[in-house]
Amino acid sequence: MKKITKIFLLLGFLFVSLSLAAQSQGDMRINEFLVNNTNDFEDDFGHKSGWIELFNSSYGTVNIGGCYLTNDPANLTKYIIPKGDILTKIPPRQHTIFWADNEPFRGTFHVNFKLEDSQEILFVASDGKTIIDRIKIPVDQLDTNVSYGRSIDGIGKTDGSEGWQVMDRTSPSTNNEGVDSVPKSVTIKKADPYGIIMALTAMSVVFLALVVLYLVFKQVGKHNIKRSRERSVVSMSESSKPKAANVSAEVYAAIAASLHAYWQGDDNHDIENTILTITKVTKNYSPWSSKIYTLRETPHKK
Amino acid sequence: MEKGLFSLIGDNLQQFIQYTGFYNATFNHIIMIAIGLTFIYLAIKKEWEPMLLVPIGFGIIVGNIPFFPGLSIGVYEEGSVLNILYQGVIKGWYPPLIFLGIGAMTDFSSLISNPKLLLIGAAAQFGIFGAYAIALLMGFSAADAGAIGIIGGADGPTAIFLSSRLAPNLMGAIAVSAYSYMALVPVIQPPVMKLFTTKKERLIRMKPARAVSQTEKILFPLIGFLLTCFIVPSGLPLLGMLFFGNLLKESGVTRRLAETARGPLIDVITILIGLTVGASTQADKFLQLTSVYIFILGALSFVIATSAGVLFVKLFNLFLKEGNKINPLIGNAGVSAVPDSARVSQVVGQQYDNTNHLLMHAMGPNVAGVIGSAVAAGILLGFLS
Repeated sequence: MKKITKIFLLLGFLFVSLSLAAQSQGDMRINEFLVNNTNDFEDDFGHKSGWIELFNSSYGTVNIGGCYLTNDPANLTKYIIPKGDILTKIPPRQHTIFWADNEPFRGTFHVNFKLEDSQEILFVASDGKTIIDRIKIPVDQLDTNVSYGRSIDGIGKTDGSEGWQVMDRTSPSTNNEGVDSVPKSVTIKKADPYGIIMALTAMSVVFLALVVLYLVFKQVGKHNIKRSRERSVVSMSESSKPKAANVSAEVYAAIAASLHAYWQGDDNHDIENTILTITKVTKNYSPWSSKIYTLRETPHKK
Repeated sequence: MEKGLFSLIGDNLQQFIQYTGFYNATFNHIIMIAIGLTFIYLAIKKEWEPMLLVPIGFGIIVGNIPFFPGLSIGVYEEGSVLNILYQGVIKGWYPPLIFLGIGAMTDFSSLISNPKLLLIGAAAQFGIFGAYAIALLMGFSAADAGAIGIIGGADGPTAIFLSSRLAPNLMGAIAVSAYSYMALVPVIQPPVMKLFTTKKERLIRMKPARAVSQTEKILFPLIGFLLTCFIVPSGLPLLGMLFFGNLLKESGVTRRLAETARGPLIDVITILIGLTVGASTQADKFLQLTSVYIFILGALSFVIATSAGVLFVKLFNLFLKEGNKINPLIGNAGVSAVPDSARVSQVVGQQYDNTNHLLMHAMGPNVAGVIGSAVAAGILLGFLS
């Protein structure tokens, strides 16, 4: 039984650690890329080249140092993203750009291949084997300075089969769906200027939550009352049977003392009257443990 | 040489004077310090929520000591001690810790024995959404209105948690308003309770609560947590900690943890939250017309919540058999000011029949109010953030 518990615990820990791993590099997505760049974003050196945008789709910072970017499925470890660069820590829901200029000596964010020569882009985990995300480059659909990206940041399959489109405009290092989206609270105020819909919806949800709790605990209560009744019936039927437990402790003590006196011969006692008196002594209070004597007297105001 | 020395001393003195509070004081600082002192007076002399009003009152004074900016001492100056302590408010991790303590000190027995009282806790949350609607009419944005409305939940930590998410700029005013009205529960609620009830209704005697088993007490936080958080996941930080604290209390095997949660931990957080929320009410950020509106809306939300609770009980009684009826004087306790509003039910009830003890009955909707307001906060967060 203990072994089974240990196995379950071990499996539990394994599951938890696996899910922790899943929340890190596995949440990175190739989000957008531009193959032919002649009149678009330029790097810190003033050069225009193709770029790949990665997006951290999680709500925690992900360090992509040690992961790989490649354009060759047969060589998954083509470009290793250097470890130890603070900029490889991608904040939650943020983007980062890699320049596909085949100039890796220019820094962490310049890979050793060009997109013009590529059929596919792959983002590989730091183990060098696990493909986290991949996308085939639709060469025939992409004009110069036209990018290809996910319709909504981070959403869609990781084999590029769903959620991608030719972008109306490039959006390096920013949201693909546009940053000028109206905040939720503004939309709500527009749709419900007097707050009536909100009040009704929210009150319904509050009631729903507490009604469900009420119904569950009504049943739990009923079940509990039924069980306690059953228990009391059983205990009543048991109490009607003659029981040794009804005999008081004093009687046992008297019997034990008599037997002891009998078996010892009567050496312990001289002639006494035959009444055995046992007084129960309960001593809950002792001056040794009393707090009264360890405290100072409260001063009285006169 | 001598002239240079005197000039240096003069310059230093002048600089010193410019650094003093006397030099930098404005009329607004004086007003805020007076408000802080009033809070402390009310807490000590009148004993109105002293655990809250003393730290908040002193915090108001701390936050309104006039000083030369840039010394890294103010609550809004990054890296200052007060700013670091204030992060618990801004990032919203003080309120869930307070909820942990509340869970560890709350006995849900009265609610478990009579679960229909949960519905009163739900009804009283109408105060939140009533105030939300009025705030929208007054021109507040939906997010600001949501943060203001939560004052009606009568729950300081929840108000701070939600306002830190939806309207950080209004947090000081919302927190002070929520805590002030919580302290004023014995003043605000009785007239409303009497207004909506008849003398006959106030004399209703409720059936005594049945004994609740240990198993039920353990099941309550587990089932309560799973059900409420599956329905409103955005309430997870508050509901999770509330029910976790209660499980520590009821499990019977984590006594030390429960005692820490309901004792030293909640005390430490109460001190920090009170002091920093008070300090965040700097005159230039607090003394605005918006704060006045927030105070008015806060009062209205309390009145609406109390009315909704009382009226709901009256409505509910129409469907209950004679002998099972609920005294509408416990309707006010649906707001989550624990145990103050339950105590108000007891006091008002005894004014009409001094042998009718409503306290334990009122504790049911009172603790349901804690759950209800956390659920409501989760809904507002989900809709508006």
